Amino acid sequence: MSDNPILEVKNLQHIYMEKTPLEHQALTGVSLRVYDGECIAIIGHTGSGKSTLIQHFNGLMRPQRGEVIVDGHHLSDPKLDIKGLRRKVGLVFQNPEDQIFEKLIGDDIAYGPLKMGLPLKEVRDRVEWAMELVGLSFNELKDRVTYALSGGQKRKVALAGVLALKPKILVLDEPTAGLDPRSRQELLDNIVQLNKKENMTVIFVSHNMEEVAYLAERIYVLADGRNLIEGTPRDIFGNNETLAKHHIGAPQTVEILTKLKEQGYDVNLKSYEIEAATKEIVSVLQSYRR
Amino acid sequence: MERGLTTRKIVIAGVLGAVAILLGVTRLGFIPVPTAAGNATIMHIPAIIGGVMQGPFVGLVIGLIFGVSSFLDATIPLFKDPLVAILPRLFIGVTAYLSYVSLRRVNEYAAIGMAGFVGAFTNTLLVLTMAVIRGYIAPGVAVTIALTNGIPEAIVSVIITLAVVVAWKKLDHRGNRKSKISGEM
Amino acid sequence: MASFEFELTRNITIGQYLPTGSLIHRLDPRIKLLAFTILVIAMAICHTYVGNFIALAFACYLFYISRIPISYGLSGVKPAIPFILVLAVLQLLFYSEIASGGTVFVDYGFILITSDSIRLVIVSALRFIEIIFLSSVLTLSTSTTQITHGIESLLDPLKHVKFPVHEFALIITIAIRFVPTFAMEMEKMMKAQASRGAEFGTGAWWRIIQRTKDVFPIIIPLFNVAMARAEDLVLAMEARCYTPGSERSIYAKYKAKSTDYAALLFCILFAVLLLAFPFPY
Repeated sequence: MSDNPILEVKNLQHIYMEKTPLEHQALTGVSLRVYDGECIAIIGHTGSGKSTLIQHFNGLMRPQRGEVIVDGHHLSDPKLDIKGLRRKVGLVFQNPEDQIFEKLIGDDIAYGPLKMGLPLKEVRDRVEWAMELVGLSFNELKDRVTYALSGGQKRKVALAGVLALKPKILVLDEPTAGLDPRSRQELLDNIVQLNKKENMTVIFVSHNMEEVAYLAERIYVLADGRNLIEGTPRDIFGNNETLAKHHIGAPQTVEILTKLKEQGYDVNLKSYEIEAATKEIVSVLQSYRR
Repeated sequence: MERGLTTRKIVIAGVLGAVAILLGVTRLGFIPVPTAAGNATIMHIPAIIGGVMQGPFVGLVIGLIFGVSSFLDATIPLFKDPLVAILPRLFIGVTAYLSYVSLRRVNEYAAIGMAGFVGAFTNTLLVLTMAVIRGYIAPGVAVTIALTNGIPEAIVSVIITLAVVVAWKKLDHRGNRKSKISGEM
Repeated sequence: MASFEFELTRNITIGQYLPTGSLIHRLDPRIKLLAFTILVIAMAICHTYVGNFIALAFACYLFYISRIPISYGLSGVKPAIPFILVLAVLQLLFYSEIASGGTVFVDYGFILITSDSIRLVIVSALRFIEIIFLSSVLTLSTSTTQITHGIESLLDPLKHVKFPVHEFALIITIAIRFVPTFAMEMEKMMKAQASRGAEFGTGAWWRIIQRTKDVFPIIIPLFNVAMARAEDLVLAMEARCYTPGSERSIYAKYKAKSTDYAALLFCILFAVLLLAFPFPY
């Protein structure tokens, strides 16, 4: 981990439809720092400004007030190479399977790299790399039609389409929403692999605290367009007062441990991971047996 | 095709009508290709698709919705005249449907493509005819526009109608096509 | 690329409703639609200077009594000014074939300017402003629900000739209902495709096929989403036993009051005046 953040947001504000009757301030002052290779979760209720925030990361929105700096480039700079930025920051929207438009899977994933003007050989290698990363067989599936796929597979195709740009930072908006449990687990494993093996910086938005606990190294909590708190899952999920004060949901492991603590058992609330929580519960059972 | 109005026909006419309105009020309804107007419109394509997929009534209603929305939203005087903006649009989906059924037995792709072409040309031709009748443009100018605008628009229409309808009807199910990145390198 | 390029929802003015509670707002929507149609037809046909000035004054007066700022109407006219000017020049230069009557002012080569062609230019510009004003008043003073109910109830007599009136009104309702939804979908789609390197309008300008395929990443998903929404809606409607063509009760019954009839009568008389009165100019 280097000292300089790969992505830095300083007091970012955004007002939709400024100076009209429908004016609405979505961001009132967000600041965050993400370092190379981290896996960051952004959580918060609907309307807290998460979607607006992440659209600033690849320049779909430019800062109205405040600063966004990605890998040393200021987004306020009018001469910014926006196409270069979008290759550096891969943004995967909610329900990305909707954006598939080519008939054949291989063509759809190749769209971005082809638009970059890469030689066909390089495009092919990138598509193969991206497909295998998300667990789609390149040889079997590249010539198949997109509309014959299941929802989970379509989402993998869409993810591969962004990965084929070989971004340094991958930003995902509710990546597992609406997936069946198996596809969801597969996708989560893909993300872990991208983060750990390919050393991609991952930033994701989620409402699912199990998922946050499973993936995130650090969490930012957004409310009313500003970031309330940030910390490791251990800091945030392990602190009952914080959770209650900011109305943050917690993973079920934490809820079980909290209930046990309320009933007078001596458990460590910071053990939010499944293995650690299991140990705590087992220790309670053992003390009970004695 | 079932006769009469089914729930599906009603709903599809509605959503395609919404797409037609949307294409009209955003700049997405225009494709920058060389025409007299500087771009080709694709706002009539929902009416063509509706006609091909669900029959003439659906095509007619979508054409009506398109016409009324282009009338209400018009920024050029020509289309603030209901006889130019609305009336010709009623026929887009109908002629598209007729060309589709007449060619369907020969070849499905040709039929869809022809519907796209005829539908678009119906739009150009009838709008210009009405514009001449109502005295907005002179006949000579109209012929020039019909050629310079009508032909590129019809080509654009064929491409998009084919792409959308083929995907919907899932015609390309056979795996005999190869991805661009397939093949030896 | 500026961020506002993606804000599609901002451009959509259909369904803008400005409740001021004025007399015009309180009129029966059926009467409003009927009066609107009659007035638009009259304005479209009227070709005299005086008639069109009176019609324009009337349209302005409608803004006043509906308590809607006239700036709403003017904002519809403003973007059209260049078009009006271009059209005016074209009509002046090329319309000689038909509008050759009246006094000849200029006759130089192919350019022929007559009192008829000048009339044509001025009247079509006036007509345009009148109709913009009129449709602004209609849509700003009538909610979309009222408009669809109004259409349904106006078309009711057509049931006797087997025209599917209710189904037709339902189609209109669905169309209006889905415009904002699809606008948001389209905005999301543009952003998503831009995120993976989409560019629009690349390639040489004469390559029509290439240029058309450039919009595929937006257009194809838009139609797909529309179709998916349609399938969902069909299922939801059939699950609630919706049957086309069955008898239905109406919860919004309109009853025209005497003011409604008075307004309609006034509009009819006004239309007759525009068309039949022999204005001197």
